[in-house]
Amino acid sequence: MSDMRSEMQAYTIARMIEKNQVVIVGTGLPLIGAIMAKKVFQPSCTLIVESGLMDFNPLETPRSVSDLRSMSRCAVPCPPYRYLGFQANELLHNSKRLIGFIGGAAVDLYGNVSATYIGGDYHHPKTRFPGSGGANGIASFVNTIIMMQHEKRRFVKKMPYITSPGWLDGPQSRAGAGLPPNRGPMAVVTDLGVMRFDEQTKKMYLAGYYPFTTPEEILANTGFPVDVSRAEPLPPPDEESIRILRSIDPTRIFLK
Amino acid sequence: MGKVYTLSEAISKFVHNGDHICFGGFTTNRKPYAAVREILRQGLGDFIVEAGPAGGDWDMLIGEGRVKAYINCYTADSGVTNVSRRFRAAYEKGELVMEDYSQDALMLMLHAASLGLPFLPVRLMQGSSLTDMWGISKEVRKTIEKLPDDKFVYVDNPFNPGEKVVALPVPQLDTAIIHVQKASPDGTCVIEGDEFHDVDVAVAAKNVIVTCEELISNEEIRLDPTTNRIPPFCVAAVVHCPYGAHPSQCYGYYDYDNPMLKEYGAASKTDEDFKAFLDKYVYGVKDHYEYLDKIGASRLLKLKTVPGYGYAATVK
Repeated sequence: MSDMRSEMQAYTIARMIEKNQVVIVGTGLPLIGAIMAKKVFQPSCTLIVESGLMDFNPLETPRSVSDLRSMSRCAVPCPPYRYLGFQANELLHNSKRLIGFIGGAAVDLYGNVSATYIGGDYHHPKTRFPGSGGANGIASFVNTIIMMQHEKRRFVKKMPYITSPGWLDGPQSRAGAGLPPNRGPMAVVTDLGVMRFDEQTKKMYLAGYYPFTTPEEILANTGFPVDVSRAEPLPPPDEESIRILRSIDPTRIFLK
Repeated sequence: MGKVYTLSEAISKFVHNGDHICFGGFTTNRKPYAAVREILRQGLGDFIVEAGPAGGDWDMLIGEGRVKAYINCYTADSGVTNVSRRFRAAYEKGELVMEDYSQDALMLMLHAASLGLPFLPVRLMQGSSLTDMWGISKEVRKTIEKLPDDKFVYVDNPFNPGEKVVALPVPQLDTAIIHVQKASPDGTCVIEGDEFHDVDVAVAAKNVIVTCEELISNEEIRLDPTTNRIPPFCVAAVVHCPYGAHPSQCYGYYDYDNPMLKEYGAASKTDEDFKAFLDKYVYGVKDHYEYLDKIGASRLLKLKTVPGYGYAATVK
């Protein structure tokens, strides 16, 4: 079952997408999950990417957010600034339909993400990453689901460099920083399970684990203690769902 | 026909050492690679770079030490390398002077440049280290003429007292280089599919070089102006350069050359392999046409997009 980790993640993502949602996706497993949601669970959802491709529905797996596989089958190829304006206006309208998937190199207790570096310091990093991309804007304005590899070094108690702001230091801190307080991280989906954020404290807790993982294993791979008392087993994809996921990414660009 | 140049002539006339420069395209789509290879061959550098969503284009120039200051938001050949490897190596070794903005901020800064705005107020980057920490300090910025002294400043929203917003500087570009599907001798450009930030930088920059898949007449390009995106007076040089975005994609023409992107991804892991890659594909050829010969006709033809799919699909 453990060789099904990426299918399990993509399936978990697909089940998180709700009716009529506008879903900001990049690449990787969120894209595979979102395509499955669009095909199977929530055909009313629409997919958009930060390059400006609006309402795309690819036949073949796109490798990038600007891929012709998305561009040639979208409703409107907007310039990126128009996408950014749409994202900001959804917030100004207090619309509830937008959800964003972001990735990163590390995440902390409050869902703050670094996509810039890990190890060392900002000016002398041990490992430098490509940078924010569109994730900072998404994390600022949109409810997010964060993708992360579940490793101790990637789950750090306090993020030394925040590329994409989460709940910062707790419940009041987004408003204090000039960010909308009613938007923020909803979940972290990893190769071991799903973390969510406590409504009162905004601290991360373990919400779900996969058939091939245990809360103890997840705790052992998290760099800080989290509440595991609310953790529930997550349903695995059935054979048909696995078949569909593999047909979306037959050459296993993102499914490992 | 005054604006039609060979690639070599256009680069030597309109790209200068120390230019504040921006390329069009988006990671692995419509990147002006032929122009990048010619810049490498001509030995030009010391660039102040608004990188936008970059990939192998700027990675090669960084790897060859041609960048004086790099304004980064994202640098990777998505789906091939999760981070451009020369970029990473140069920064980790302390050899790259670099600033980080969010891609949102950078794209809006380029758009603001095209609109002629004096500065750009945004709600972006607040509460994050993108405001708290500067990749290039004020002291270093003061030594680089073409960079503003401040990464950004906080200002009050004059229409909503008490609200603090981030005021971003608007870049003043010397040079923009973009690759388009069609252009005419007077500089009029067709861009099909997503324009990305190409139109913004073409309007904003003092000197604009356009490489194009097809050179068509000034009369023909005006018969149906619906896909025309850039007016003639914004463009300094037009270069007929088929497959000029290879190995990235070009909407309506060809897909990315994924094996080539992978070859670069692997080669760029080490100094030696990177040098060997450039010797083979950049310095080892005289011009873009020799490069195309090296890639080979059948390989290029197999990249052609299939109508109905929009990429190099097997028709089923």
